[in-house]
Parts: sequence; structure tokens; C-alpha cells
Amino acid sequence: MTAGVETATALLRRFEPVLRSTKGDKFYPMDVEPYVQACSLWVQRPGQEAVCVVRGDKLTLDKLAQQPLDEAGAVHFLKFTDEDDIGPDSRGRRLRRFQRSAKNRKESREAFRAGRGRLARVGYVSRFVDALYSITLLARGRVPGESAAAASVAYERIMAENEHYRYHGRVVRQDGWIVLQYWLFYPFNDWRSGFFGANDHEADWEKVFVYLSETEAGEVSPEWVAYAAHNYTGDNLRRRWDDPEVEKVGEHPVVYVGAGSHASYYSSGEYLTELNLPLPSPLARVADAVRSFWKTRLGQYVRDGDEDEEPGYFYIPFVDYARGDGLSVGEGGDRAWDEPRLITDPPPDWVSGYRGLWGLYARDPFEGEDAPAGPMYNRDKSINRAWYDPVGWAGLDKVPPPTETLEAVLEEREDIASRCTALRTEIEEKSWQLKKLGAEVASMRGRSHLDAPYEEGTKRIAELSGELDRLRARLATDETVSESLEEYAARLRAGEHDPARAHISRAHTPASEDELRVSRVAEAWAAVSVSLMLISFVGIWMFEREHLISMLVFSIALFAFVEAGFRGRLVNLVSSANIGLAVVATLVIVYEFFWQLVVAIVLIVGLYVLWDNLRELRR
Amino acid sequence: MLLILEVIGLVALGVYEFWQVDWRGMELGHLSQRMVEALVYALFVPSAILTLMSALSFIFLRRRGWLGAAIAQGVSLAVCLWLYTLFQPGYVYPIMAYCILMIFYLNSQDVRVVFHPRRGEAKQKLGGVV
Repeated sequence: MTAGVETATALLRRFEPVLRSTKGDKFYPMDVEPYVQACSLWVQRPGQEAVCVVRGDKLTLDKLAQQPLDEAGAVHFLKFTDEDDIGPDSRGRRLRRFQRSAKNRKESREAFRAGRGRLARVGYVSRFVDALYSITLLARGRVPGESAAAASVAYERIMAENEHYRYHGRVVRQDGWIVLQYWLFYPFNDWRSGFFGANDHEADWEKVFVYLSETEAGEVSPEWVAYAAHNYTGDNLRRRWDDPEVEKVGEHPVVYVGAGSHASYYSSGEYLTELNLPLPSPLARVADAVRSFWKTRLGQYVRDGDEDEEPGYFYIPFVDYARGDGLSVGEGGDRAWDEPRLITDPPPDWVSGYRGLWGLYARDPFEGEDAPAGPMYNRDKSINRAWYDPVGWAGLDKVPPPTETLEAVLEEREDIASRCTALRTEIEEKSWQLKKLGAEVASMRGRSHLDAPYEEGTKRIAELSGELDRLRARLATDETVSESLEEYAARLRAGEHDPARAHISRAHTPASEDELRVSRVAEAWAAVSVSLMLISFVGIWMFEREHLISMLVFSIALFAFVEAGFRGRLVNLVSSANIGLAVVATLVIVYEFFWQLVVAIVLIVGLYVLWDNLRELRR
Repeated sequence: MLLILEVIGLVALGVYEFWQVDWRGMELGHLSQRMVEALVYALFVPSAILTLMSALSFIFLRRRGWLGAAIAQGVSLAVCLWLYTLFQPGYVYPIMAYCILMIFYLNSQDVRVVFHPRRGEAKQKLGGVV
């Protein structure tokens, strides 16, 4: 259910976020209408070339929803970048394109400095995988290199005609919450081309949700906020309104926007984001089994954080720069928000009727370079959870609004109390039944003609006893939970709250000052090390074939040692190298002394059994 | 204690090796296998010194002590494996066995936790495309 238009707009404006971008960012939240008018609509049908169905100067928000040539497997998409800018080559166009790209790069360089390179923050394997990932971009579908520059020009053209900063607002009631949805539309995501990130794509939909509770008198108060970051969902996304991490200007939450990616963060800083490339499942299962054996059976050390993290062995690092030193939009910022475009209920056609992509369809199998779908849909045309279940999207579906918490606690306690009463009655009945059964079995003991019913009775006693035990355990647990609920209700009545961050298992934290403080040498090493290692391998292969193995081992050890020194991972390196050496040495010993070891093991087992038996005899 | 025991063992093994060789019959051009084995035993001297220093650091529960001990075990084991590939001297096997046990002991959960307390570390993963 959506609130009335005036109330909805008033609520949205009251809590609208303040966006703080990073210096060097070129795109800001804009209205969809001028964007769509600057686009052409295309359709890509399976096995065919993409066809333009509505030309750029003819497209409007109303026409967008009509989607001609829709059929199974067809993908509709918009093209924002001007055909003249990236169309078929001519000398003039090539020159213009080159000049624009060069100008764009120069402006970016002047405005944005990456600081400590992302590669200096991660290990060798990750750097190597990153190099492979970059190479795959040549083979994968991707947004053309000039698109960012062309999009920047098109965006500047729109802003020159009518400079505006607008969000698309929606107000929804769900499960006792009022959800204010701020849908932010950016014309281009230039994370890869502008800020060394994972991808580029035309159009970018981001979202910030504010969750309000409402009293019976109709007063609303903000309780939670949730910022979208890299398709994350659940508890870790949301923060309580009184969490010190949520910076506010009056009643407006502050959002630090990732440069190029437009991901939203609570604190300013540089965030290391990792793309996890999982091992194939059979290999992953083997690796997990070895890891578990290593830790639990051998009692060996496992690296920090490994237990909580999802298993992964290859990561590609990316840094999301959310420094907050660029343009600020919203209350107290450099620019004010324009009147929001309201998404009412039922939603307008451009939201519900257009299920295509909002920018170029690059046909990237990993989808990272394809434009996103609109606020209501996913790329596969299914409905977006943030749209139909904004409360569950942020993991708030299990949290009652403050006005309902006490009621929920008391009702749950009553339910448990009645369950306990039923359990006590059942336990009493079963207990009496068990006693009767015990008496019956005792009466049959020692009477050979009653062996069969005796056996059956004994079996029934064991079953009933087990069942009774389970019921008593459940009753004990329920009684403890009931007491806990009573205490919780008392705390709530006294006005106490849960800790603000109790629900967060893994918070996104920016890189610390220590992590950012690194010498130029370390950064240079990170940039050249992978190439240098590969070149040295080739050199060894060409000039030191006689000592191939030893030279390879020596060079790898040298690179690893320097690398570990720079990254402060000397302990891990020594530990890993030692384990490798220990495994090899164990194999050597087993190979050299196999039968002696077998004899020794048998002897040890024999002596242990003898010692154990003698000890028993002495007692 | 285990580290000091290791140093004592290394020294004792070294003395025994040198004792076994007839140094009077040594000719510079023609060293016997036994003499070479005894001479290369000197490669264990740096790791023995490092082990001794680590043992002293261990008493004060210094992080550097753990690192020194681990490096000493690694170096000893690497020397053993290298010597094994060259001429398989008999003394490498007991040293290897002891080093293996020491490595697993030093890497055990209990020991590592004492010397390297956990540090909180939260990196975010890309949940999907953005």
C-alpha cells in the first residue's frame, strides 16, 4: 500500500539523504525522463543482430513501456551514448573521440588520485587472477572504452539544459513499517574506466531506504536505514538510526557514494571489495575436508577470519573509493535536491511496464558490463526483492516496530506458557504410562513363557522413556525462554534498547590509516611483481636450464619473501613454507623407513595395550 | 625446552659426526664421503644459533621468538632435504623427524594463539554485479 501523494512527498523530503560523492566523480542522481529522451530503444532477439525499435529523438517515458517485438528470449535495452560518438569509424570521428577520451582522462587524473593501489593490498595469487580477469575483458562483452567519455558529454548536455539533482521516491507500508524508498538513477557507472573498478555500464540504479515506525497518534520516527552496496542483502546492510556510524544532517542520513560504482556507504573511506571466484565444487569439497581435518583433527592453526567467511580461494580485489570529498547533494550540501519524482501505487508504466535494461546490453556472460534493469525488476525480468519486500531485503522482517515489540514479546510468552501447560499434562500422562509399563515388565521378568512380551515391553519402555526425556527437555527450554522473555519485557518497559549493532555480523569497514600508509616502493612492487616473476621464469628457462628446478624454487622463494615483507605477512609465509617442507620431509621419511615405521607403530600399539592392561590389573 | 633439547641434539650429533671421521688421513683433492658429510654439517650451525636465541625469546613470550623458531625449523628442514637429494647422510633423518614435530607443534592452535592473537578483519565481497 502506498501513502497519499502529499504525505508521501512530505515524508520523503523530511528524511531525504545527503549524498557525498568522491572528487573526480562525473555522474550524479538525475531524473529518468531527460535520460530516456536522450536514449534509443533496442531489442536483441536470440541469434540475431540488435535492432533499433525507437530512435533517440522519438523515445519518451510513455513509449518505453510499450516494448515492441517482445518475445521469449528477447532483451530490450536502451542506448545512452550517442551513435555519432562511438559509431562506425571515420578519420574525423576517430580524432574527436581520441581528443575527448584524452581530455576525459586528463580531467580524471587531475581530480582523482587512487592513493595506495588496490593491488598493493592483496596477495600474489589475487594479482595474477586479476591479470587474467583483465585479459578476459577482451573476450567478454564489454562497454566500449569511449562510452564513459561519450556518456559524460551527453550528461553534461542534459545538465546544461536543465541542471537538476533528483531521486525517485516511493513510500510503502509493510509489516508495521513505513518504508521510504529513495531510488537514485545515475546515467553511467564508470567504476572500471574511471576508478580501476570491476565494471562499466550505462545506467545505474542505487537505493537508500529509511524505515519509520508510527504511533497510534500518527507520529512517525525513523528507526533504521539501509544503503545498497554491491547487491548485498540482509542484516549487514541496515543500521539503526541511533547507531553512531549513521552520520546525519538534522534528520537526513549521510550517504558516502562509491566513485564510479555509486555503491552507498555509511562512513567515508576506501573499501576493499573482493570478487570471489569459487573453486569447482568437487575441488572445493576436497579443500574443505582437508581444512577441517587440519583444524579439528590435527589441532592446527587456521588464519584469522577464516571460520566466518564463505570459503573461497581466489579473489580479485577492487577498491571502492567513497571519500566524500566531492560534490555533496542534499541538506547542507553543495546542491539541493529538486522535487522528487514520486513512484505511486500502482506504479507508473515506465516502472512496471518496461522490463528491459536501462542502458547498453553488452552481452557480458558475467553481466557486470550489462546495464541494470529498473527499480522493479532484475536483469532476468523477475521482480526485485527490494521492490516487493523492502523490509525482508534489509533483514528487518524478523524485527517488529518499537510500538509492536512489547506486544510481540508478551504474545510469544503467552504462547509458550500455554505450550508449557500442554507439555506438563502430556508429561504427566506419559510418566504414569511408563510406570505402569515398568510394573508390567517387572511382573514378567524370569518367566520363560513370557519372554516375547517381556522383550517387547522392554523395547516400549526404552521408546517411551526417550520420548519423555525429549518432552522434559523441551519443557525446560520453554520455561527458560519464557523467563528470558519476561526479563526482556521488563527491560522494554523500562525503556532499554538492544545494542545498536547486535544484528551486524560483518560490517563494511574502510581501510584503516595503517593500511593506507605504504611506501611508494611497495606500490611499485605491487604493480610490477607479477610481470617480473613471469619474466624471470622465462629467463631461467632460457639461460639456466641445467639448474631449472633449484633456480625456480629459489626465485619463487625470493619473490614470496619480498612480497611477504611488504605486506607484513612474514609469519604466514614462514608458517606455510614450513608446513610444505614438513609434508615433503614426512613423505621422505615414510619412503625411506616404511617397514621400520610399520614395525614401530605395531610395537607402540602393543606396548600401549600392555601398559593399559597392567594398569588395570594393579587397581 | 624443546628448542634447547634440539640444540643439544644438533651439537651432540655434530660432535659425533666429527669424531667418526679420521681427519689425519685427509687430502684436500680427495675428500671421502664421510668427510664431506661431516663438513656440510656446518650448515646447521646458523639454524642451531637461531634456535638457541629463539628459545631464550620464548621464555619472555616474544612474538619474535616464535618467528625465529619457525625460521630455524624451516632452514634446518630445507638443509636436510637438500642434503638428502645430494648424498643422503644418515644424520638428516633424525633432524628431519624432530623438525617435523616442532613445526606442527609451533603451528598448533594453542601455540599460535599465544603468539599471534586474532585481529578483526572484515572485507566485503562483491555479492554480484553492480
